[in-house]
Amino acid sequence: MILRFAAGTPEQGVQAVRERLEREGLRVLRSPEEARPILAVAGKMPAKLAEELRARPEIAEMIAPMGELLLVARAMREAPAARSAVVDVGGVRVGGDEVVVIAGPCSVEGRDAVLEVARSVAECGAHVLRGGAFKPRTSPYAFQGFGVEGLRQLKDAGEAVGLPVVSEIMDASDLGSFLEHGIDCLQIGARNMQNFTLLKAVARANRPVLLKRGLAATAEEWLYAAEYLFEGGCEQVILCERGIRTFEKATRNTLDLTVLPLLREWSHVPVIVDPAHAAGIARIIPPLARASIAAGADGVAVEVHLNPAEARSDGPQALLPQELAGIVSDARIQAAATGRSLHRSFR
Amino acid sequence: MQPALRQELRHLDQVVLALLDERARLLAGVVAGDPGRGAAVEDLLARHAGPFPARGIVEVFEAIDRHCAGFARETGEAALP
Repeated sequence: MILRFAAGTPEQGVQAVRERLEREGLRVLRSPEEARPILAVAGKMPAKLAEELRARPEIAEMIAPMGELLLVARAMREAPAARSAVVDVGGVRVGGDEVVVIAGPCSVEGRDAVLEVARSVAECGAHVLRGGAFKPRTSPYAFQGFGVEGLRQLKDAGEAVGLPVVSEIMDASDLGSFLEHGIDCLQIGARNMQNFTLLKAVARANRPVLLKRGLAATAEEWLYAAEYLFEGGCEQVILCERGIRTFEKATRNTLDLTVLPLLREWSHVPVIVDPAHAAGIARIIPPLARASIAAGADGVAVEVHLNPAEARSDGPQALLPQELAGIVSDARIQAAATGRSLHRSFR
Repeated sequence: MQPALRQELRHLDQVVLALLDERARLLAGVVAGDPGRGAAVEDLLARHAGPFPARGIVEVFEAIDRHCAGFARETGEAALP
């Protein structure tokens, strides 16, 4: 149950309710929302206690959550109905009234290569540089990434062009390297969406997390993965739709845009879309990116390579820099058409 | 005028205004002019196949350029130490 207090309720009033619930053996979680106190109660609340709380004048609303999705629930924040909460990724606001573009190589392929792509990404007006240093590959013989050295190269490239960076973490034992190298946002990939050990470890890192949707995860399972992060202390979570497995073989995955307005109803967590991994075909990424923003995504994440044919991973879905410029321009138009604006770039 | 048409026009006006705001934001603090601007508007006109009158297009873009330049100048001056 989610208890939304009347704005201005004194702290002792909130504490009294909290203690009452804890006396019943219930776990109580608190929203960081400043506009009003909001508590979430994990576990089944006895009917008598619910009745008692409803009678308290300081509790303005009691909202039944979807299952046990508490901390991610929309009712836990005061964000306007059509907007998500805001997550700060190295100075770039993701969510709220702004739309962002995240771009970069699928894999960090060397110091010069990533710097060159980073320059293009910044020139095109994208806001966050992405790049994989630890690569989860289907084949053990495929390029696995440069590991820690790749993180260093990515961060250096980001700093050189003034962009925060996001990179995928696959193993909790690598967390120290990600923090040491100042990776601004930790990505949990589709294959690890339900790696609960990793989620718990990453939650403690006090860094924004980009949580990709699992290959065959329902929206609810995806939100439960985000709930793990919140429960573990991470309140800076961004969801990333990247396509799900269906019977359709024309594309790598099927981009599920239907989930965007639903997530907006259910949750305050911002959602971006990665049309590249959904499509797997570079030429159809621009319309999918446009559709994503039009459907309410808080941003898009795409892959860029100066020579996609030579990319060490995911070349067929990599965009050329001039194509990225088109994505940024389209995102600006779609954002404006939906009452938002493109995040002010560093240019 | 039908209410539905009026509502649709108001929504389009909102989008036009939002796009003008985006254009102004892009130019915030950019004081240097665009030497290719005249040719760019001519190119727009040449490609234009819609019903909006050509003369009107020129006037609209002249007004947009004038106001965006003014905004860019103001924001540029504001950014000066």
